[in-house]
Amino acid sequence: MAISFKNVAKAFGQKKVLDGVSFSVETGEVLFILGKSGMGKSVTLKTTIGLMKPDRGEIYVHGEAVHTASEHTLAQVRKKCGMVFQHPALLDSLTIFENVAFGLETKNRERVIECLKLVHLDESILNRKPQEISYGMQKRVSLARTLAPGPQILLFDEPTTGLDPITTNAVNELIAELSDRLNVTSVVVSHDMGCALRIADRILVLDQGNILALDTVDRIKSSSEPLIQDFLREAL
Amino acid sequence: MKKQLFYFVTAVHDVFFIFGKTLLTCLKGPHRAKEIFHHINQIGIGSLPVILLSTAFAGFVITGEIAFHMDEALHTVEMIPGFSAQFILREIGVVIPALLMVSKAGAANTAEVGSMKVTEQIDALRLLQIDPIEYLVYPRFVASIVSLACLTLISIFVTLSCATAIAVIRYHFTWLEYVNSLLVFVTPRDLISALLKGLVFGAVIPVISCFYGFRCTGGAEGVGSATTNSVVTSTILIILLDFVLTFAFSVLLY
Repeated sequence: MAISFKNVAKAFGQKKVLDGVSFSVETGEVLFILGKSGMGKSVTLKTTIGLMKPDRGEIYVHGEAVHTASEHTLAQVRKKCGMVFQHPALLDSLTIFENVAFGLETKNRERVIECLKLVHLDESILNRKPQEISYGMQKRVSLARTLAPGPQILLFDEPTTGLDPITTNAVNELIAELSDRLNVTSVVVSHDMGCALRIADRILVLDQGNILALDTVDRIKSSSEPLIQDFLREAL
Repeated sequence: MKKQLFYFVTAVHDVFFIFGKTLLTCLKGPHRAKEIFHHINQIGIGSLPVILLSTAFAGFVITGEIAFHMDEALHTVEMIPGFSAQFILREIGVVIPALLMVSKAGAANTAEVGSMKVTEQIDALRLLQIDPIEYLVYPRFVASIVSLACLTLISIFVTLSCATAIAVIRYHFTWLEYVNSLLVFVTPRDLISALLKGLVFGAVIPVISCFYGFRCTGGAEGVGSATTNSVVTSTILIILLDFVLTFAFSVLLY
């Protein structure tokens, strides 16, 4: 088991974002988390790797308890994980090469170029600063930076927002390929049901802090839940 | 009320946590020299023109004001050099550069760190096993202390020079008279207290400005509000610490 949530709750003031959520993700699985805005999708990702602490409940990543982890244990857990944020989150003061190589122990130029190629970018941008390339390219560089250290678990927070349809397709295919070829576990937060139907192994739908559905793509397709029906209509 | 008290207590805790962790990072010995020099260039050299201009005019004003009040009360202006020099060394020459640095470097720090926070760059750093305090606060902390110590000395020199110039031009002192009279009143302890104050203010500015940056939420509005709060808090803290340090030095040094 790669990730396990047991009765996890998180609130911001009076607003309960997660209210006793339990689920698990198998190694090599691609799990899509869908839901309306503000339903706790990003919070789920951030609590997975200890960027946020849950108010209660237990979270395990490869058997390590994240909810009670010390900084040292969290560092060990984070070594296995990569996360693509909603924003590109590149460091403005560094070049593209330095950004992609940031998480590498040795600043290997070949590895950086290899990761850039995976996201359809070439080495001509290596010496540029993030602000000198487009937003879509920044998102792809961010994905390349996440892939560079070779994580076993990938967390994607709306990875294709702001990308053109061709790159969106390429990123989705890459997520599926990483799972098939390298057995990388992926958890993808998205609003894109169409993409989820194509590449997800399972889909989790969050609503009002609770799990509305957690099932395989085929079963989700036949769900009668109005919210899921809305998402399915959008995808068609 | 409970919520505000909780916010205040956690804020104080976080400020001391950032300060403590930065000091521990300093104990590792000098490192990340490139970033430190970059920030010295931005904070120190970048603030120099505005500090030179402001302290020069402060020097003109101080001599004029002290002369006016001395003439009113004592009917003599003979002690202008001593009084103005002590005031410059103990207060104006230290506080003006510190306050200007708050509005220039402190505001820039909060805006930069705040923008990084709202665009998840800080989360990305943590995920890449980089301690945000070591990466963002430490180079600014060292650069700010070094810069403000140097700027304090420069500002004292400029303010004193301009104060002397006005005394010579308007109140008919000779340069030698002014300097001789000044040396009777001013001791090395005044310079030490000025430098110590500069070091303390230099440490406060990056810690407070980065603290507000780390706490920043929301988008552009959040960054704006964090920057305002950072400047207000740093300004108040510098004035408060100036009082505390002046009192402490009056007991310990004089």
